[in-house]
Amino acid sequence: QSTIRWRLQTYAGPALAEHVIKPSIDAFNKVAGDQMQIELYYADQLVPTGELFRAMQRGTIDAVQSDDDSIAAPVDISVFGGYFPFATRYSLDVPVLFNRYGLREIWEEAYGEIDGVTWLSAGAWDPCHFNTKEPIRSLDDLKGLRVFTFPTAGRFLSRFGVVPVTLPWEDVEVAVQTGELDGIAWSGITEDYTVGWSKVTPYFLTNNISGAWCGSYFANSERWAELPENLKELFKLCMDSSHYYRQYWYWGGEADLRVNGTDMELTSIPDAEWQTVEDEAMKFWDEIAAESDRNARVVKILKDYNATMRKAGTPYRCG
Amino acid sequence: MPHAIRLYVRTMDRASRAIGRATMLLIFAMMAVLFWSAISKNTPGLLPSLWTLEVAQFLMVTYFLIGGSYALMHESHVRMDLLYGMWSRRTKTWVDVVTILFLIFYLGVLLYGGLSSTAYALEYGERSYSAWRPYMAPIKIIMCLGIGLTLLQAFAELFKDIARLRGEEIGLPTESAS
Amino acid sequence: MSYEMIALLMFASMMLMLLTGQRVFAAIGFVAVAAALLLWGDGGSEIGFSAAMKLMKWYPLLTLPLFIYMGYMLSESGIADDLYKMFHVWFGPVRGGLAIGTIGLMVAISAMNGLSVAGMAIGATIALPELLRRNYDKIMVTGVIQAGSSLGILVPPSVVLVLYGMIARQPVGQLWLAGVTPGLMMAGLFVLYIAVRCWFQPSLGPTLSKEERDVPLAEKLLLLRAGVLPLLIFFCMMGLFVLGYTSLVESSAVGALAATLAALVKRRVTRAVMGEVLRKTLGVSCMFMWIILAALCFGAVFDGLGAVRAIETLFVDRLGLGPWEILILMQLSFLLMGTFLDDTAMLVIVAPLYVPLVGHLGFDLVWYGVLYTITCQIAYMTPPFGYNLFLMRAMAPPEVTLIDIYRSIVPFVAVMAVGLALVMAFPQIALWLPQMVYAR
Ligand code: NA
Ligand code: NA
Repeated sequence: QSTIRWRLQTYAGPALAEHVIKPSIDAFNKVAGDQMQIELYYADQLVPTGELFRAMQRGTIDAVQSDDDSIAAPVDISVFGGYFPFATRYSLDVPVLFNRYGLREIWEEAYGEIDGVTWLSAGAWDPCHFNTKEPIRSLDDLKGLRVFTFPTAGRFLSRFGVVPVTLPWEDVEVAVQTGELDGIAWSGITEDYTVGWSKVTPYFLTNNISGAWCGSYFANSERWAELPENLKELFKLCMDSSHYYRQYWYWGGEADLRVNGTDMELTSIPDAEWQTVEDEAMKFWDEIAAESDRNARVVKILKDYNATMRKAGTPYRCG
Repeated sequence: MPHAIRLYVRTMDRASRAIGRATMLLIFAMMAVLFWSAISKNTPGLLPSLWTLEVAQFLMVTYFLIGGSYALMHESHVRMDLLYGMWSRRTKTWVDVVTILFLIFYLGVLLYGGLSSTAYALEYGERSYSAWRPYMAPIKIIMCLGIGLTLLQAFAELFKDIARLRGEEIGLPTESAS
Repeated sequence: MSYEMIALLMFASMMLMLLTGQRVFAAIGFVAVAAALLLWGDGGSEIGFSAAMKLMKWYPLLTLPLFIYMGYMLSESGIADDLYKMFHVWFGPVRGGLAIGTIGLMVAISAMNGLSVAGMAIGATIALPELLRRNYDKIMVTGVIQAGSSLGILVPPSVVLVLYGMIARQPVGQLWLAGVTPGLMMAGLFVLYIAVRCWFQPSLGPTLSKEERDVPLAEKLLLLRAGVLPLLIFFCMMGLFVLGYTSLVESSAVGALAATLAALVKRRVTRAVMGEVLRKTLGVSCMFMWIILAALCFGAVFDGLGAVRAIETLFVDRLGLGPWEILILMQLSFLLMGTFLDDTAMLVIVAPLYVPLVGHLGFDLVWYGVLYTITCQIAYMTPPFGYNLFLMRAMAPPEVTLIDIYRSIVPFVAVMAVGLALVMAFPQIALWLPQMVYAR
């Protein structure tokens, strides 16, 4: 029997993928041996990120790691993938929402309506901060700032005069240097250092617009159905191990680099001023909820969850 | 050559020439969009526009795909002429008749992928992954049109070569240069 | 099928396809989609088109049509004629002076456009007839024009360095600055070669006749004005970019606009001229874009079929070579492939295999961009495949035969090889300027 071969493309570039997915794929290949091998490809390597969902549906790519937003997944709930403004405070929020508050079922339902693609699992990444060429100390500093960010976050931030720009991920650093961009609102400080952005954007804003990114694994439905049970289980274990790795890698990195990092200067927008951004986000949530019944269900879950966490108090919600 | 084929070749040549001449002007559109982009971000009080980069990209891809049939008709594409350069006109034509089938095959596969991707864009109302979020179907349709036109022109070139082997010239004269 | 086998088959069939003399993009595209249909599995048929989407998202590629337009506009604008007159009068009294002046002209043209084709056109139409009329050796001057025009991709702005920057993910501003000193050095080496050669063999480049040399100083100084406009264009384009007012692609639009204005000011824009410029721009842009389109598809298929891994394993594990040995081997293979492949295709197909490896080995990727570009220049010059060969054949007067064209490049390729070796041995030649400008 011949070896099953999959092509999996992540939307992350090589420097990042080294942490967020590669260890788990290497482990998978080691265990699966001659039965199955997964070839890992990075951002835009085989197919441009915008075409990834389609490519997976057609079988050009067998599996994908990305947020729903970046690959423009054709489901209403794709706005909640990536950074949905202020949906989460900590990276643990994401698995709790999916496994305890019912987001998993909603995601399965939504992708069940799309032919050819199976949604497998979601996990958390890092918080979403600004890193910029000039310091940000007030909301005014956001006006006219050209920033690389996620589309949904960009739609929201444009209410504060931010000009969201979308480029292939790998081009971002160069675009900052050539003046195409003034900054980035795409990651926490761990990634800024890991991918080298800290060298081109000397300022880091400590306020974040979301505490954790929410990203998923997907597979071509036929390919997934063909897998023997043991490999399906193995793949699930590897997704979990990748989720787990990101939990401690980011959590540890964010704190450490704020304190010990030497490339970037930290700035903040005062809490009272930042509150207006949070308030605006609640309006944004309601607009998104109005787009579909399913979106309304997700927004309700987010509200219930955050209310519970606030009532629970320290350490679940501080301040 | 049969009348229908002569008519096809003439029609294609005319269409490619007319469409090509219109496409040439898109270079000014690209200049204008990028110039506006430069102005809007350097003028105090103006916000940089969201749409300039993507519009410029759409223009660029339109420029060379819709311009593809014109370029094919006018022999703009380089060839490696290590051997080719030494052959007689007739040998070249014979070889071209065979090798253009490879071109036709490539363009056919390109078009097939384009149609499939366009169908997807229409079915799901696909939007670009950006804050401006334009629908993707229009540009994909334009791209397919360009590839389709180039494919039709490739058949016209094939017919011209076959006619040439039979001692006939059936295409329109090409415009000078490149 | 093993990865090595796939790699070998794809390259071999592409070479075979190229030898039939068909359009280069069709040869590359056919092999790519055929391999995808046969070997990829479900969905292989979509890769050709997804390459088109990838190309669309490569936004620095917008500079390509704009720089091409700019080059043709400048060659029609008459700026080049004035410049030529200036160099001609100032250098005429020296042995080989007109050839040296032509190199100067080529440097100026290179500083105003991103490719070599426009320089080639200007050199062949303006300088070549004059040089031949003055009894310059036809083999030498043909070489001078081809070598000089090749500086177009090394002296900023440079489309080749933009493409390289996209693949290597290096800042184009630094790459362009890194090309300045090596470009000038290369021009200097050409001049040195011409001067020495003509010193020993004055018949190759006779000095101007007494009457022709006899230009009053005032008039000579007046001719220097010809240099003002090119400098202005160069600085309004590069200056705005390096200072961060305009992005790369916006700068190319500014340059294109500036060239148009210059031509308008000099009253050279007629309907016919405009038509000619637009036609050539579309033709040459399509030529490049379709090659890139096909090559992107080839690259993705090659990668997706695992052939890239085969090449990496070969260099790093199998051969067990040290960094410098690998680097030199890569340059040699680039040179070899460059003689057969078009430099754009070579960049899009081969660079994604090599560039990450170069980075891994610890070399500076800005520096490597310059090495790569010089290699491209050499590849562009050498038969059997090179644009200059096509163009020269199309534009040169009948007394210049194909054999002359081939022979003419030999000494200049040798000079370029010396330049390449110098930049390899002394990376600071390339890196000094960008490090100085971008030092914070
Ligand atoms: Na140049
Ligand atoms: Na060559």
